[in-house]
Amino acid sequence: MSGTRADRAGAAPAGRAAGPRRRAEPSLVIALLGLVVSAYLTVEHFTSPAVLACPEGATINCAKVTSSVWSSLLGIPVALLGLLFFAVMTLLVTPAAWRRRVLDPVRVVGAAAGVVMALYLVWVELFRVDALCLWCTGAHLCALALLASVLWRVADRAPVGPAPARP
Amino acid sequence: MPSSSQKPSSGGSSSGSAPAGARARLAAEQAQRQQRGRRLKWFGLPVVLVVLVVAALVVVKVSGIGDRTTTQPAATGAAADQVVTAVTSVPAAVLDQVGAGTGVTPPKRVDAPVLTADGKPRVLYVGAEYCPYCAAERWAVVVAMSRFGTYSGLGQTASSAQDVFPSTATLSFHGASFTSPTVAFTGVETESNEVAGGGYAPLDALSPADEQLFSTYDAPPYVESGGSIPFVDIGGTYLVSGASFSPQVLQGLTHAQVAAALSDPTSPVAKGVDGAANVITAAVCATTSQQPAAVCGSAGVQAAAKTLG
Repeated sequence: MSGTRADRAGAAPAGRAAGPRRRAEPSLVIALLGLVVSAYLTVEHFTSPAVLACPEGATINCAKVTSSVWSSLLGIPVALLGLLFFAVMTLLVTPAAWRRRVLDPVRVVGAAAGVVMALYLVWVELFRVDALCLWCTGAHLCALALLASVLWRVADRAPVGPAPARP
Repeated sequence: MPSSSQKPSSGGSSSGSAPAGARARLAAEQAQRQQRGRRLKWFGLPVVLVVLVVAALVVVKVSGIGDRTTTQPAATGAAADQVVTAVTSVPAAVLDQVGAGTGVTPPKRVDAPVLTADGKPRVLYVGAEYCPYCAAERWAVVVAMSRFGTYSGLGQTASSAQDVFPSTATLSFHGASFTSPTVAFTGVETESNEVAGGGYAPLDALSPADEQLFSTYDAPPYVESGGSIPFVDIGGTYLVSGASFSPQVLQGLTHAQVAAALSDPTSPVAKGVDGAANVITAAVCATTSQQPAAVCGSAGVQAAAKTLG
């Protein structure tokens, strides 16, 4: 099973790096996907012409969400915060970073913080803006998937209980 | 490294290999059980928790439990007489002094079907009471159209308290009528500013012809951002999509304060509202063969006309 091979490889010296490289793929792919989505939202935030208009109706309405008063937190565009989050997480889930177990708590806390922020933004969309942005939802799903993949990876290689006695 | 993941020795000829293999298998099974437990604890529970929280939010939203009731903007009512008087009779000298105003975006010239009613050019305004940009644009539209005719039944309301530029004081075309010898006007407020069912309560409906016009011309390439309000079709010759000036200049002002500021050419309100009104007036004049001449030939309108495409 590849999982078992990877487990061994993850614990192996640097010379056997093929396993960890494969295991890092899901979290790295998700982080990169989130990076692309949040980069798009950030570019849109800064380059969209300042159209002084309200989008007409529609629950699925990205402009209504990204142009609302809730689109910034403490003066910082939420899209930019998302970009920074996924940029940092991308660095934390590269194959090289995964080999450093000391970063596991940072990865878990970082990914969890992303999900907490996503939950806050879902609440804002549902109860304050009254509209959903599909691009934002994509970023939120990436944050959740990233947390899931990081937890899976960390759980997979967490210290096992006492080793069975050898004959 | 976890011995549980190591395979037993392949040297099966030794006498102790069978029990050793069994122990190794048991150890491997135990390790797998431990791994499953860890995954459930580390991975499963947090993810399930997040999914449950999102599901709870959606259920609360759909059930309407979370509908806001305490931050509704002011209810729509009849506009105060002094407000209507001030808005519909801004001194011509003030309008001339303001000219094209400051920070005013002019309407866009388009090649659309001529919009008429009763043999007169027609202006169609589409907006909603909750919309802060519509709140700003209405002041300018009323100032401009009052130079061609007379409004009656204008409402007084405010934009959404939850949106950007919250609770911007404004008028409402809901229930209002307009009479003029030179131009016709239709004002449609599609939604109120009252939250209802996850959105805003519907108000006026566009006629099928106006609905067709709105869906066709409130879309690229005619406007920059499709489906946006406010939308104003000026005789099929000019389109306004979005506010002509920033609602920022109206922030924190009451209806009476806005109305009073319209007659002060140095105020930011006048530079925005009166400037936009002059530009809209110039666009309307383009559809009325520059009638009435006293309005269309005024210095303020002529200055504003130079900004039209």
